[in-house]
Amino acid sequence: MSTTTADRLKFIWPPVLIALLFLGSWQLLVVVREIEPFLLPAPSLIAENFFGDLAIMWQTAYYTGTTAFLGLVFGTIAGLVMALLAQRFVVVNNLVTPLAAGLAAVPIIALTPILNNMFSITSRTPRVLVTAIIVFFPMLVNVTRGLIQVQPVQLELMRSMNAQPRTVLRVLRIPNAIPFFFTGMKVAAPLAVIAALVAEYFGGPQQGLGSRIASSAANTAYGRAWAYVVAAIITGLVFYLIVLAIERWTTPWTGRTRSA
Amino acid sequence: MTTTTTQHAVSATGVWKIFNEGQPNEVTALQDVNLTVDSGEFISLIGPSGCGKSTLLRVIADLTDATKGEVKVAGHTPHEAREQQLYGMAFQQAALFDWRTVRRNVELPLELQGWDKSKRKARAMELLEMVQLADFAEHRPWELSGGMQQRVAIARSLAVDPTILLMDEPFGALDEMTRERMQNELLRIRQETGKSIIFVTHSIPEAVYLSDRVVVMSPRPGRITDIVPVPLGDARDEDTREADEFFDAVTAVREALRGHVGGAGARAKVGEV
Amino acid sequence: MKNGGVSVLWALAGVGLVVLMWELVKWLGNFIPLPFNTSDMTMPHVWTMVAAMGEPEVRGSENTVLDAVISAAFRSLTLAVGGFIIGVAVGLLLAVIMQRFLFAERGLLPFVIASQTVPLIALAPLIVGIGNRIEIGPVKWTTTYSVMFIAAYLAFFPLSVGALRGLQAPTPTSLELMRSYAATPGQTTRKLRFPSSIPYMVPALKVSAAASVVGTVVAEISTGVRGGIGRLLIEYARQITSQPAKVYVAVFGAIALGLLVAALVTALDVYLTRNLPKEKNA
Repeated sequence: MSTTTADRLKFIWPPVLIALLFLGSWQLLVVVREIEPFLLPAPSLIAENFFGDLAIMWQTAYYTGTTAFLGLVFGTIAGLVMALLAQRFVVVNNLVTPLAAGLAAVPIIALTPILNNMFSITSRTPRVLVTAIIVFFPMLVNVTRGLIQVQPVQLELMRSMNAQPRTVLRVLRIPNAIPFFFTGMKVAAPLAVIAALVAEYFGGPQQGLGSRIASSAANTAYGRAWAYVVAAIITGLVFYLIVLAIERWTTPWTGRTRSA
Repeated sequence: MTTTTTQHAVSATGVWKIFNEGQPNEVTALQDVNLTVDSGEFISLIGPSGCGKSTLLRVIADLTDATKGEVKVAGHTPHEAREQQLYGMAFQQAALFDWRTVRRNVELPLELQGWDKSKRKARAMELLEMVQLADFAEHRPWELSGGMQQRVAIARSLAVDPTILLMDEPFGALDEMTRERMQNELLRIRQETGKSIIFVTHSIPEAVYLSDRVVVMSPRPGRITDIVPVPLGDARDEDTREADEFFDAVTAVREALRGHVGGAGARAKVGEV
Repeated sequence: MKNGGVSVLWALAGVGLVVLMWELVKWLGNFIPLPFNTSDMTMPHVWTMVAAMGEPEVRGSENTVLDAVISAAFRSLTLAVGGFIIGVAVGLLLAVIMQRFLFAERGLLPFVIASQTVPLIALAPLIVGIGNRIEIGPVKWTTTYSVMFIAAYLAFFPLSVGALRGLQAPTPTSLELMRSYAATPGQTTRKLRFPSSIPYMVPALKVSAAASVVGTVVAEISTGVRGGIGRLLIEYARQITSQPAKVYVAVFGAIALGLLVAALVTALDVYLTRNLPKEKNA
C-alpha cells in the first residue's frame, strides 16, 4: 500500500509548523527581551557558531560517533551470541532474563572509571567497552524475545515437515527475530551515542562532543557549547535514521498486520 | 509383517491418549479409537469441543504420541511417516512466513528436503497453478486474502506429493461463501490427485459435502461414537448441496452427533455441537 | 513469594560468580599477559573493596566511605523519584492531549520520539547554567532542580508513548458502545481509555523509572552537582591512584540504587496488574 504525496504531506506539515513556531518564538524572545547569551543564546547565534566552525564540529562529532559505533557493533554482536545461547539453552535464558530486567535501572556508565583504570585511560577502549555493555542489554532482550516468540502453529508446521532444531532456527526463528532486532537497534543506537558522550566526562582524551560541551560551558562560550549540542543531536539522529533506513530496506513486511 | 496389495492409508487400533496421567487434572482425550482409512478415501472427523478429533489427527501426524495403541500411516509408524514426509498437513491458520514470497512459502518443504533451486521453483509454480494462484507467486502473504492464504497453505502441503493429507479445520476462519468455494477447490484437487484426506471440522454440511464417510466423535472421554457413510458419489458440485441425498446425510450426521447425549431430554446440551 | 526467594538465591549465586571471576582473572593475570592491568592498584581484591567501606571518607572524618555512599545514593534516589513523578505527570498529560487532538498527535509525536533518539543529556551542563540564574520569586532554582528536570525529561517519553498507545487501545466496538450511551469524551477517557491503558502503562512505567535513575546519575556526572552518587563517582575516580578501592564502593552504591528501583517498580507492576489475566508465554 503506497502512500500518495498528499497523504505523506499531512503527516509532515504539523511537526514542521511546530518546529518553525518554536524556533521563531525562541529567536523573538531572545531579541525582544534582550536575553544575554550566557542565559539563552538565540538560534541565530548558535547557527553562527555551528556553521562557522563546521570542520571542527564534524571532527568532534566524528570522534564521539566512532566510539559510539564501535561500542554499538561489539555490544550487538555480544547480544546476538548470548541471545542464541539463551534460545538454545533454557538455563541460560532463566539466568539472563531476570538479570537484564534487574540491571535495567543501573547506571552502567558508572563502570567507566573502573574501566579507565584497568585499561589505559588515554585509549578509546574503556569508552567503547562501557558503550558495548550498555548496548548489550536491550539487544539481548529484544533478540531473545524474537527467537523465542514464534507462533505454536509455526512450530507444529516445522515439525510436520520433519525439520531439525538447527533448521527451525535458520528457517523460522532467525527470520522471525529480525523485526525484533531492529526494535532493539532503534533503542541501542541512540543509547550508544549518549553513552560514548557521557563516558567522556570521566577524563581521558578530550576531543569528543561530551568533553567539548563541558569545557565550552566552563569557559562561558555558550554559543559554542550549544553548537556542540546541536552536533550531538545530529549525531544521535543520524544513527537512528540509518537504523530506520536499513530496517525499511531489509524488512518490508514490518508494520503490516501479520498474515493469518 | 503381512503384505497386502492395497494397504490402508491410515489405520488406528486401540488408540488411547491420556493427558496428565495419574494427576488430579487427568484427561482422557482419546479412548480406544479404532479407525481405518482406505487409499483415496476422504473422511471427516466431527464432534463438539473436547471430543479428541484434533488430538487424533495430531497422533496420526506424530505431533503428539499415543498413550496406548497402534497407528499406521501408509504402512509405517507415524514417526517414520513424518520423517519420510508421507503426509502433508494444513492447519486452521495458514501459517505462511511473512518474510517469504508466496512461491518461497510453497517451496519450504522442498527446501527442507534438499531439492535444488530450479526444481523447487518449477514444482512450486506447478502447485500454485493447481490452486489458481500462479499470478501471485511473487507477492507477500499479507497481500492475499484469508482464503487465498489458505490455498497457498494447501499448495504447500502438497509440495512433496504425499499420499495423505491431514487437515485441521483449514476453512474454520473463513466466511461461508469463501468456505464453500474452498470446499469445491479441495474436491477438485482431490479428483486430480487421488489423495487420501483426513479432515477435521466443526461444520456438518462441510463434513457431508466433502467426505466419503463422516466419523462422529464425542467428548469426556474422547471416542468415536458413529461412522456415517455418505453415498453422494465422486462427482459432487454445487447442485449436490441442494440434493435430497445431501440433506438426508446431513440429518444422519446431526442425529449421530445428538445421539451420544442420549435422547430428546438432553436437547439443551446439543448446544455444544 | 516463593518465586521471589528463588530469584534472590539466583541473584546471590550470580554475585558470587562475579566475585569468583574477578579474583580468578586477577590470579591469571600473574601468569598470562592480559590486555588490561590486573595489579592490586588497578584491580583491588574484593576484600580490599569491602574493607574500604569501613574506612573514613576523608582523613580525620567520622564518616565512613560506606556512609558517604549510602547518603549520596539516597540523595540521588530522591532526585530520581522527584523527576519520575514530574515526568510521569507530564507524560500522561501529553498523552491525553495527543489522543484527544489529532493535530497534537501529528505535530508533537515526532518530537517526542526525536527527543529520545538524540542525546539531550548533552545539554545537561547548559541546563544547569541556565537554571542557576533563574529565580521565580523567593524560590531560587538550584542545580538540584536541574538534575530533577533532566530526570523528568528522560522519564516522560517512554510513559508518553506507552500511555498514548494505551489510550488508543480500546477496540472500535468498545468505542461505539460508549457512543451509544451518549458518553462525553471525558467520560469515555475516564471509564474506558484509562483502564484499557494499564497493560501498556505498566511496562512504560518500568522504563520510565529506569530512565529516571540513570538520568539522575548521568546528569550528576555531566554537571558535577554535589550531594549525589554521580559526584562521588567522579571524586573517587580522581583518587583512584592513591585509594583505588573507594571508587568501587561508589559503583556498588550506584548499582544497588538501580536494583532497588527495579525491585520497587516490579512490585508496583505486580500490584497494578493483580486483577488482570496473566500472560502466557510461548
